[in-house]
Parts: sequence; structure tokens; C-alpha cells
Amino acid sequence: MSKPLLTGYCLVIYAFLLMPILVVVGASFNAGAFLTFPPQGLSFRWYVVFFNNDVFMRAIRTSLWVAAVSTVISGIIGTMAAMFYIQHSGRWKESVRLAMLLPLLLPEVLTAISLLFFVYSIGIGTKTIAAMIIGHVLITLPFVFINVSAAMESYDPAWSLAARSLGAGPITRFRRIMLPLIKPGVIGGCLFAFIISFDIFTISFMLKNIGTATLPIQLYDYLRTNFTPEAAAVSTVSIVLTLAVVIISEKVLGLRIHRF
Amino acid sequence: MTEVSIEGLTKDYGSSLAVNGISVKIADGEFISLLGPSGCGKTTTLKMIAGFEDATAGAIRFDGQDVVNVPAEKRDIGMVFQNYALFPHMTVAQNLAFGLEMRRVSRSDIATRTARVLDMVQLSGYADRYPRQLSGGQQQRVALARALVIEPRILLLDEPLANLDAKLREEMRVFIRDLQKRVGITTVYVTHDQAEAMTMSDRVVVMFGGRIAQHGSPSDIYERPASLEVAQFVGQVNILEGKVVSPAAGDLTPVDTVLGQFLVRGVAPDANGTVTLTLRPEAVELASADTGGAQATVSASYYSGSLVDYRLTLDNGQTINVQTFPRNRWAAGDRVTIKVDGERFWPLGAPS
Repeated sequence: MSKPLLTGYCLVIYAFLLMPILVVVGASFNAGAFLTFPPQGLSFRWYVVFFNNDVFMRAIRTSLWVAAVSTVISGIIGTMAAMFYIQHSGRWKESVRLAMLLPLLLPEVLTAISLLFFVYSIGIGTKTIAAMIIGHVLITLPFVFINVSAAMESYDPAWSLAARSLGAGPITRFRRIMLPLIKPGVIGGCLFAFIISFDIFTISFMLKNIGTATLPIQLYDYLRTNFTPEAAAVSTVSIVLTLAVVIISEKVLGLRIHRF
Repeated sequence: MTEVSIEGLTKDYGSSLAVNGISVKIADGEFISLLGPSGCGKTTTLKMIAGFEDATAGAIRFDGQDVVNVPAEKRDIGMVFQNYALFPHMTVAQNLAFGLEMRRVSRSDIATRTARVLDMVQLSGYADRYPRQLSGGQQQRVALARALVIEPRILLLDEPLANLDAKLREEMRVFIRDLQKRVGITTVYVTHDQAEAMTMSDRVVVMFGGRIAQHGSPSDIYERPASLEVAQFVGQVNILEGKVVSPAAGDLTPVDTVLGQFLVRGVAPDANGTVTLTLRPEAVELASADTGGAQATVSASYYSGSLVDYRLTLDNGQTINVQTFPRNRWAAGDRVTIKVDGERFWPLGAPS
């Protein structure tokens, strides 16, 4: 394919992928009373409405909190699982991998229903937010596992042996040698986990306790009865939040891949 | 100042016996090589000394104290890996400091010791470089420095020169040997390269199939091999059948061979009075004039600069390989006379 043609092709694909987002962002600046595109005049009025809406503000806080907690749990479990997976070669290796990826392969609604039965049968129920966090961890775990095990592929086991011969115990070896070297994978995996968790609807919907709502649930609730540009403002804010998380983690934690 | 004693060391992987009851004593400050083809158990032995692999049976003693149950991180060994295994996220100085930090050496002592060892491996200006900014040979020297800076009881090297090109490999042999002598550390070196083992070691341990085939000085191994396998592993060798002419006088036995009759040391003939002799290619001298030795025809010659290899066909059809300096040159088809000193024959199956 010639270069201009290829460039044009890529532009079309990107436009197709990004158009819905642009439409939503555009619609959020609507001055009119209904969710339409193109917007009828420009205004920030729906952002003002949104930021003064306690229900939405609470939902955002809940979403961020749930995403943070499940990312930490997923990050720890997923990293440990990846370490186990890489260091053990045997006939169970591929089964371990498959089991870790299963939540990705099953329809989310199926996982949600099974989890609902599960949390009730073990007595947790949905009275607290724990059930929802369990669900989010389950869904986000494969993303941490995939990223960390990919980073571990380029980790030379001789580094751990060298550290051992120099007198480092298991905790020091992990903290000073392995973790810094697989850091890009861990951070990448956790970013994925955070963003996915922030976005999960079905699981949250099934497992939420009464009175708690994450942002996607609150938005869904809202759209059932209202059709104002406030919904577009909510969506835009959540897109900006997600982008902010990515950019801040890149800057602060450093996603720079080490070159060997 | 550590003397290592290995007794009946065995590693059983269930499906195979990687190391089968080997025993070696390594004197304090000695440089010993474990030499053998891949899969002979040399690396497994090294890993057991390092503590990376558990021994199935046997003992490993450092100065008489059994370390089999001491974890690797407490054995106080310095290890150099085949691919160096330098920590890529740390500078040269940080790589060297790591082992000292584990030993809770003070910050100022770390600085002086690191500088001293870097000077020893001639990398003083490289403290702040990352491993990826160094050449293979430099990385190799950093790996050595990292292993030595902790002043370990013993130094273990696992095929450290395998990834270097030929010229650098020869330089590093001398470098490592000189450094080891200067530091005076007990060293175990694993290699499948016989030239490396011969030039560097005080003693060579040749291993086949998890057992020690022979151990001794490089010249013992080369000139007085215990078996055909050892003889062939450490260099080219001609095999000649000999017939004992009369009983030994002292330790010299007259033996009749296709090259003539010679007085050979260490012969233990079988019931038929036959003996198998080895003869190294460079032990043979050639002459153009008929000086009374066996005659042969040159069938091929291979010139390699400092040496020439000839393939000769004896008048009975047997082939013999000869290596000489290229002072006189012969071409295929030339007739030559073979001159050998009886001392240069070594009988297989000789009591060593």
C-alpha cells in the first residue's frame, strides 16, 4: 500500500474509533436542555449541574475507591501468580495460565451471577462492598497477570541467583532485584486493572450493596429517567479521570522500559 | 583461605543421575577446572557447591565444615555466571556494592573496596556506567569484580568465557588466571573447552556421565590420559596397537608397533601381550631423508599459520595424524620418514 493511502486508511480507522468519544465530549458542552449533537450553543452549565450533584459526586468517589482497592489486591495476587507461573515449568504450567485468564474468556454476566451465588453461599452476601471488590479483583486479575508475566519473560533467573550468591535473602532479592526489573509490567498491569475496574458495569450492578453505586451504575440509573447533557458531562469527566491516571502514573512511577 | 573437600557428592534427578558420587579435594588457593562435555554433571556439581542445587547424597566441606545444609546466601561464595548476570538496573558501582550492603559494610568502606577491586580489573573509570553500556569483555570483568569484592571463601566460575570472541577469550584466560593468583582464592572453574582448562588450572577434573574420568595436572591429563575418552576429549590422538616383545626392564617395556620398536613407560599388557598406545600428533617428527624410521606418504596437509597438520598414510594403509612447525613443508604425495621418541607413547589402561 502506498504511503498516502496508508495514512488515509489509518485516519479513517482512528476517526471511526474516536468519533463516539468526540461526540460525547462535544455534547457535554451543550447549552440546550437535551442530549443532542451537534450541541445547541456552547456552555459549561451541565458541568456546574454535575459538580453540584451529590449523588454523582458520591458515585465518583465510590468508583475511585473501589478501583484503588481492587487494583492493589489484583496487583499483589496477579504479580505473585505471574512469578509462580514463570518459575515453575511443568505440565500444569499451561493450566495455571488458562485458569488465570478464565475471567477474560467467560461472559461477564455469567461471572457476575456465579459470584452472586458464591458470596451468599459463603455468607458474605451483598450487605457490604466486599462482594463488589471480590468481583472487581476477579475481572482485573488477568490484566495484571498478563502484563507481569510478559515482563517476567525477559527476567533472567540468573539475576536472582547472583543476588543469592552475594548474600541476599528472598525478600531482598524480590525488593532490590526482581521488582525494579519487572516494574514496567507491574505498573502497566495495575493501570489496566484500575481503568477496567473504573469501567465495570455488570459485576458492580449484580454485586453492589443497597445504597452504593459506582459511576457507571449511577449513570445508567440517571439515563433511565433523564436525557440531559449532564450524562455527557459525567462521561467526559470519567474519560478525563482515566487519562489523568495513565499520565500521572507514567510521570510519577515511570513506565520507561529498561533496555538491556 | 579455604580448602574444599567434596565427598561422594551425588545428584539424582529421579529420571537420571546427573552427578554420581564424585570426590575431590581442592587445596587452599588452588585453581581447579571441571572439564567435560555438556551433560557430564560439571555444572550441576558447581551449582551444588554454590548451594543453588541440593545434593542428594554426599558432603561438601569448606575447611572441614559441611555446608550441604547452608543456604546459598550464607555460603560466602563468589560466583561468575556464563552470561555475567549483572543487574541491569544498577551501575557498575551499585552492582559491586550490592554484596557489601548485604554484609552491612559501612558506606565509606564500600566506596574504598569497590574502587580497589575496580582498579584490579582495570575498570576504574567505569563506576557510573550501566552494564548495557559496556562491551562483553568489560561486563565479564565487572562480574569478576562483583564476585571478588565481597572477599568470598571460594570463587566459582560457570563457563565465563563462552560468550566472548576467540581473541578476547584468550586474553581473559590469562587475565583471570593472573587475578586469581594475585588474590590467592580457591577457585572452581567449569568449562567444556579443554584449552581453557589446561592453560588456566592447577588441576583438571575430567568428567563423563556424572563421574570423574580422571583428575590431575594439565600435563597428566594430556600426556598420561586414563582412558581413550579422556585422551580424545583433551586433544587429537593417534591410536596404535602394540605387541610386547619381552618383559619390562625397570618401568620400560619394549613394544613392537607399526612405527617400529620402542621402549614404552607404564605398560600393563593383557594376556596376549598386546597393548593400546596413544600418540599425540605433535609428538611425531618428520624428515624427508630416510633416516631409518617408518615410512609414510603425505595424503593431506592443513596449514594454520603457526602449525601444519599432516594426514599420513603408512605403508600398511593405517592413517596417522601429525602436527609440526611449518619449518619444512611437504605436499600431498611426498614420502616422509617418521621419527618418534618412545617416551611420547602412553599406553591406555596404564596404572596411573
